[in-house]
Amino acid sequence: MKPVQFAISICLFVTSLTHAEKAMQATLNPVPVSFVVELIEKAEPGDVIRVPPGVYEGNLIIRKPIILDGGQKAIFDGLGKATVIEVVAEGVTIRECAIRGSGMDVTGEPSAIRVIAANVTIESNTIEDVLFGIDLREAPSANIRNNVIRCKDLEPGRRGDGIRLWWSHGCVIEGNVVQGSRDMVFWYSEDLQILRNTVTHSRYGLHFMYSHNTVLEENDLNGNSVGVYLMYSNGITIRGNRMQNNRGASGYGIGLKDCDDITITGNALLANRVGVYIDNSPSSINSTGLIESNMIAFNEIGLLATPNTHDNVFTRNAFVENEEQAVTHGRGRLVTNAFSRGGVGNYWSDYAGFDLDSDGIGDVTYEPKSLFGVMLAKEPNLRLFVHSPAQQAIEFTARALPELRPESTLIDPSPLASPPEIKLEIVGTGVGGMRMFIFSASLLSFAAICIAVMGIERGMPAQNSGGRT
Amino acid sequence: MSSMTAPSDLPKKSVPAAPTRVGGITLFARREFRDALASKWFLLYTVAFTVLAVAVSFLSLSGVGSQGFAGFSRTAAGLLNLIMLVAPLMALTAGASSIASERERGTLLYLLAQPVSRAQLLLGKYFGLAAALTCSLCIGFGISGGVLAWRTGGVGVGAYATLVGFTVLLALAMLSVGVLISVGSRRSSVATGIALFTWLALVFVSDLGLMASSVLFKLRVQEIFGLATLNPLQSFKMAVIVNMNASLDVLGPVGAYASQTLGNGLPWVLASSLAAWIILPLALAVVLFVRRGSV
Repeated sequence: MKPVQFAISICLFVTSLTHAEKAMQATLNPVPVSFVVELIEKAEPGDVIRVPPGVYEGNLIIRKPIILDGGQKAIFDGLGKATVIEVVAEGVTIRECAIRGSGMDVTGEPSAIRVIAANVTIESNTIEDVLFGIDLREAPSANIRNNVIRCKDLEPGRRGDGIRLWWSHGCVIEGNVVQGSRDMVFWYSEDLQILRNTVTHSRYGLHFMYSHNTVLEENDLNGNSVGVYLMYSNGITIRGNRMQNNRGASGYGIGLKDCDDITITGNALLANRVGVYIDNSPSSINSTGLIESNMIAFNEIGLLATPNTHDNVFTRNAFVENEEQAVTHGRGRLVTNAFSRGGVGNYWSDYAGFDLDSDGIGDVTYEPKSLFGVMLAKEPNLRLFVHSPAQQAIEFTARALPELRPESTLIDPSPLASPPEIKLEIVGTGVGGMRMFIFSASLLSFAAICIAVMGIERGMPAQNSGGRT
Repeated sequence: MSSMTAPSDLPKKSVPAAPTRVGGITLFARREFRDALASKWFLLYTVAFTVLAVAVSFLSLSGVGSQGFAGFSRTAAGLLNLIMLVAPLMALTAGASSIASERERGTLLYLLAQPVSRAQLLLGKYFGLAAALTCSLCIGFGISGGVLAWRTGGVGVGAYATLVGFTVLLALAMLSVGVLISVGSRRSSVATGIALFTWLALVFVSDLGLMASSVLFKLRVQEIFGLATLNPLQSFKMAVIVNMNASLDVLGPVGAYASQTLGNGLPWVLASSLAAWIILPLALAVVLFVRRGSV
């Protein structure tokens, strides 16, 4: 927007020349946020307030159901004090605003936007340099869409949450991008829809505490400490998400702690420390967990479960090239869980069986027995020796000497002979392939030049006294 | 490499005139390189390494390769195992036969009659073999890299280059040890036997021993890490992994400890362990060879 256009838009709303002049100035110098407060006071409920471009300094409280439209050029700066915008009226919309500079003091939990009323929409805002991003407290039926949130660059433990819900039922959280926050966390909030969000470089990507009956779909959780952690939350569906490179001391793609009736389908869990971690879930009688059609690949541990874990059903998953495919946390076995449903098990990339009748189901059961895995469970320090010939030697010894073979950690009676079709994005690019070709070609030509330069006889009489050995 | 091929005024020199210090080394390096090319071991190792590397690249991509997201790291994990078995074997046996076989055949006398010092002779042989080994590895990595590029349509070139670089360092370190064995052995067969024993010790016995002692003596993580870096193979493995993942947390508590305490210095610590394995055995070999006096 150009200054002339602001003037027109302001005139339309406020019909005051002085405001237009102020608006012109706002593009140059910061003005106090009281300017916006005046705009709101003059507006009727339901009006769209197009905030002129500029920097507005101070803390704003919205007490009227209005639509605050920053047109992507209005910046609200809290100057490092308290919460920048607080919404106390129902039905408010905040869109296309830039919000920055909340307080640092954890005790007041200062945020970019705090909402304590129902039916609020927060859309397409850019939030930076704040402790908490968007904080909903008893704010049901909110829509949080397409916001970009970057929290203050602090140690993970000192950061605030990118998005936090507290007792806020029926909200839609869609298409947000959160970077470098603590968690995107949901407390006591039910019937949520968490769709297509991206959380990177945070502690927990999506964190549920006592929040039931929610759908998580197509979120991208990359490079966090934990992708999705559900705690004491029941009836959650996790579908079509991607959890990649979630590493560190926890490092779970998905973690479940005392959760009943969880459905995990069609997710890609790649290169995490642990793909799926299950701690005592399901915990109630007559509840189950269903883990179906997921790609669990390239993790240090594909599935890690506490020994008391039972009544989960694993079917049609692909366990591909995990350093350890499925293990218990400590001793014990996973045999109280079903690794097959209706005669259809999972694909295991280390399955050494065969499928003579070509029905897609392996003819012998999958019963992994890894002596090194058992040693790792007892002595975590030995993980230093993975990827070494010594590890192979130990496994070979265990295969050769039956008395050394440990019990299998699980039994899949009907393993799949080939990996099920699971749709995933293709990461490789032609550009990288070209570079790789060039690099390989240069390695070969280096060798060729070397042989040409060094191998040609010059200056010295032939001393080839016969080939050696 | 450049120091070998660069300024030498070889063509002008006639044979009887004593070559310069660098010239002498270059002379023997070239001779050694030519002998290596003409011999069967170079061809055998190059073909074996290339075939295995291509096979590993293919196998690690099968099953998921069609889905395209098979990153380089799993291929590298497969290649790591192969490299840790084959590269030390190549380098140790090549180094072990270098002096001992000349001594056994009697050609060492003839070589020592040339107007060069014993140190020049030994270093020349080392650099010649080093060049031959590097070429051999480059051919293997070049062909399997081409396979990777074709099959995956794009993997981390930087990670692959790191793998190649550290493999060359590992081979040079093992070659130093091999040359040291060769200097100390009268017969070629004895030298090869000792080299094979050393290979077994470095590849299997030391790791298994460290595993056992870390369990038996309840070694702390820093002690395990310190002892592991003494083994050039473990240093090589950790260096490749840390350069690919930016962290060693793949290797459990010990790796996490190393990453946290050493931070950005970790690759340098590991590279200097390899460098020490190149320099120290070679220096010792030179000293022993010079002081030996007789053939």
